[in-house]
Amino acid sequence: MHWLTDPFQAEFMRRAFLAAIVVGAVAPVVGTWVVLRRMANLGDAMSHGTLAGVGLAYAAGIDVLFGAMGAGLVIAALLLLFSSNRRLGQETLIAVFGTAFFALGVVVISRLDTGAELTHFLFGRLLTVGWGDLWLNIGLGGGAVLVVLALFGELRLSTFDHVQAEQVGVHVELVQGILVVLLAAVTVISLRTVGTVMSVTMLVTPAATSRLFARTLARMTGWGVVLGVSEAVFGLILSYHLDAAPGATIGLVAAAVFAVTYLVTLPRRMPHHHRPLE
Amino acid sequence: MSPTAPILRVAGLGVRYGEQVALHDVSFAVDRGELIAVVGPNGAGKSTMFKAVCGLVNHSGVVEVNGVHCHDRTDRMDLAYIPQRHDNDLHFPITVGEMVLAGRRRFRRWWQRPRAADREVAAARLAKGQLGGSCDKALAELSGGELQRAYVARALAQKASVVLLDEALSGVDSPSTRELMGVFRQLAEGGTTLLVATHDLALARRSFDRCLAVNGTLRADGRPTEVLSDRVLETVFGSAGTEGVDDALAD
Repeated sequence: MHWLTDPFQAEFMRRAFLAAIVVGAVAPVVGTWVVLRRMANLGDAMSHGTLAGVGLAYAAGIDVLFGAMGAGLVIAALLLLFSSNRRLGQETLIAVFGTAFFALGVVVISRLDTGAELTHFLFGRLLTVGWGDLWLNIGLGGGAVLVVLALFGELRLSTFDHVQAEQVGVHVELVQGILVVLLAAVTVISLRTVGTVMSVTMLVTPAATSRLFARTLARMTGWGVVLGVSEAVFGLILSYHLDAAPGATIGLVAAAVFAVTYLVTLPRRMPHHHRPLE
Repeated sequence: MSPTAPILRVAGLGVRYGEQVALHDVSFAVDRGELIAVVGPNGAGKSTMFKAVCGLVNHSGVVEVNGVHCHDRTDRMDLAYIPQRHDNDLHFPITVGEMVLAGRRRFRRWWQRPRAADREVAAARLAKGQLGGSCDKALAELSGGELQRAYVARALAQKASVVLLDEALSGVDSPSTRELMGVFRQLAEGGTTLLVATHDLALARRSFDRCLAVNGTLRADGRPTEVLSDRVLETVFGSAGTEGVDDALAD
């Protein structure tokens, strides 16, 4: 029992615990749609690309969370702007912009003489999360969850069958735009907790795990949240005892849960479990 | 609107994808309760025509539904469209009941939840498609015929006067095709107009009231026996393309 409670004796650990819960709860709510719409690459590019905003904001003395949000939105806008280019696929553009913004972030941060270390931004500094950061994360995360709940039907219809959705009056492109903004918001709230590099882990892995067994969207989202929170808390406790980086440990726990779930659910997904279409 | 006015009128419909002309100068009118086959080779523009009629792609020309001149998608809510089924992920976490209920979206605003009346309509449409017991099933659990009936149920939940079905019968076995044709015929007799894009020319000749032959434009429009004549088929499919068509019709 002490193994579980010892890490939370110090106040900074209790704050870290709350910050991990917020990310663990919010990221899978948005991540469910990222997984279903096969947008994980965009999440990855955005999580890396926000480093440019972080670096520039840090250099300018602005809160890095605003910089990250700004960079995320600029990447989204650029992708939208170039989306009509038929010669290059969306995946190519995502890779080009994601790596370009990541490179810009690395260059800016490596030129700073303020003592800021690149690794802090890449892998997060969960143990230095302040109450201000925490409240901002709760506000941003709560807002993201409310938006998903309000748009649940529109998201479901436009993700499953965008043509039919459009035909019955759903503004499919607007829904997609809102989802990209939510993606940027999750990247921002993950920044201090697991860092820019690992933020896509919390976004995708718990939702991908629940996708393996959940039959309905509500259950997929619900199980994603349960898994996300459990993995974040357990990863944090484990990192305390192993004296390892919290963000990376949380990422490893999430990956391990995915691997186990994949193996356990494998028989259910074997071809003989699906009736033939004809 | 007079009682004899067409339920759907299309005049001078054209679609371009950049420099490429996908469809030009398509004109036809259909009445209530008509069951129409739309035939043509792959890439002939059948899907493009359906999408243009629904307002899903930019087009020139006129589309009128139920006497209303359509400017945008909201003017076309009396149309239901079933896209080609391979466009959808059958493992998507949505039940058959939820999918059919989605057809009721046109009757509410984005922030409103489905009402009891919507659920009743969806359940009734499922029952009509003999899917009353499949409400909680995943799509992947349905057979090909059941899946098509579920899509038809969703379209009917829209309570649309005109239903456009894009290759609804492709890859469906003979018993399911017969079942679906029975459903289509029943709907047509009830006053719903159905346009079904199909590659099955024998079925088009045997089971439909009217046939539209499309290849870049409307090549022929009339009774299936007239439209599916050798002369017209050669115009629509080309001389090389008619190989196999004769066999299909002979079947």
